[in-house]
Amino acid sequence: MAAGHRAQWKGFIKFGEVSFGVALYTAASTSDRITFNTINKASGNRVNRVFIDSETEELVAKEQQTKGFEIENGQYIVIDPEEVAATIPESNKTLEIEAFIPCSDVDDVYFDKPYYLTPDKMGGEGFAALRDGMKKSKVAAIARTILFRRMRTVLIRPHGRGLIATTMNYDYEVRSSKKAFEEMPRIKVEGEMLDLAKHIIGTKKGTFDPAAFEDRYEAALAELVKAKLEGRSLPKPKKVAVSKPNDLLAALRQSAGLLKAAADKPKRTAANANAGAGRQRATRGSASNAGAAKSASHRKAS
Amino acid sequence: MAQKYYWKGYLKLSLVTCPVAMTPATSESEKVRFHTLNRETGNRVVSQYVDSVTGKPVKDEHEAKGYARGENDYVILTDDDLDAVALDTVKTIDIEKFVPANSIEWIYLEKPHYLMPNDAVGNEAFAVIRDAMKADKVLGVSKLVIGRRERAVVLEPRDQGIVLWTLRFGDEVRPEEGYFEDIDEEADPDLVPLVQQLIKKKSAKWSPDMVSDPVQEALLKLIAEKKKLLKPSKATKGKAASAPASNVVNIMDALRKSVNAEIKGRKAG
Repeated sequence: MAAGHRAQWKGFIKFGEVSFGVALYTAASTSDRITFNTINKASGNRVNRVFIDSETEELVAKEQQTKGFEIENGQYIVIDPEEVAATIPESNKTLEIEAFIPCSDVDDVYFDKPYYLTPDKMGGEGFAALRDGMKKSKVAAIARTILFRRMRTVLIRPHGRGLIATTMNYDYEVRSSKKAFEEMPRIKVEGEMLDLAKHIIGTKKGTFDPAAFEDRYEAALAELVKAKLEGRSLPKPKKVAVSKPNDLLAALRQSAGLLKAAADKPKRTAANANAGAGRQRATRGSASNAGAAKSASHRKAS
Repeated sequence: MAQKYYWKGYLKLSLVTCPVAMTPATSESEKVRFHTLNRETGNRVVSQYVDSVTGKPVKDEHEAKGYARGENDYVILTDDDLDAVALDTVKTIDIEKFVPANSIEWIYLEKPHYLMPNDAVGNEAFAVIRDAMKADKVLGVSKLVIGRRERAVVLEPRDQGIVLWTLRFGDEVRPEEGYFEDIDEEADPDLVPLVQQLIKKKSAKWSPDMVSDPVQEALLKLIAEKKKLLKPSKATKGKAASAPASNVVNIMDALRKSVNAEIKGRKAG
């Protein structure tokens, strides 16, 4: 099955007493974003990264490096990679279904990465029965196994002829929406405001195909670099006018009125100004700053 | 933990605009993280930038972002420069379209964020947009510059706030046809009801307990033990799991057996 693709994982699915062979294939990859080189402003040269001892400031060779866990400020417990490896249960190569949960019950905030799940040559019969049973019962399955050297929970759901297994983030990696929003004021909108907003939504209803979306950032960045090189002043970001509470109803009425007028002569705006322009990537160097936004605070510590 | 906003800007629906802040729904801050140490001194190992030509350390204030114009030729861009990129989507989430809830394929969902008002002035406008989406059972579609890419995003009202999902690009999602085309379209009709019976027996409500991390727990235990001794000790060996019976020949028999086992009220699995 899935000829021509390389499986990320091969093993078995087990539910009750039924077990059959399956494989997981990466369903989504992450494409690169534009990265910058880090430059020494004083010399204009690129910089290289080296690893040094924080106290002696001497270079530390790779084989001299080990891992430690910080218990108190500056105090570390040394933990060897073999000790870390020993905490990982031995893989039994089996995605054991622990529960079926209603599709409507799934909290998507836990989703990590999707994989296509396919049967091996012998597993087709059981696979199709599981898939169609889940489809009919409108459920997803929760299964666990060792994946990529970690015990992972995956959510399995039917998709066309196949199944999609999504790895789930761990409980401690996800903040609950209840908690995140708990300090927000409890406002319930009713009456004319709600009706007007619903009317505005009604005029903007449609379908959306994420696959057709085009990123305009790179072109805009190239334009910005060009402007800077030519010594043109960069445009100041426009000041955004915020709707004041007193003006909110008026803004809604005006929006609804405008949209109503526009709806009389339907127009189709292109989803993207640069659709079809293609995506060319900027040249990237090796000392790139990839992931800087995410890991900025830990950038110096390896 | 104090909330640090990851992004601040505006949420806009037609002529209604309100200030908002956003924070990722997921975080690695609770994950057991190791630092690199120098085996010989026991000190922390840190990375340092050195000039690629002179080899001398580079001060923090001299580090700059360079856009490669050519070989060894860089245009330095400041954060202010980058903010001036001519896209409204840097600062404003303008909801252009609404689609029925559940109409976005899960496979496109990339990363969830929590979106909330960032100033009391916008509380009501935010609530209007949220409650109207809720009442109409729709998701908002917009775009936003995040991490130097302009991404399609969807907005889903939830509780008092809005969950904002960045979506994967079309070229990031592999076409499913190449994977699924050889799979039987129809299941054996006699098997499906048995599977459904089994599903019923094994039905449960979603709970975050389902996504616990035994490896992290084992690591924390290991750390705690070492802390007690404060000298290296042997690691506890992970328990080897037994291999499953993988060659079930007759699926019908296996399903029946499973259903019977469940009926007896025993916890299967």
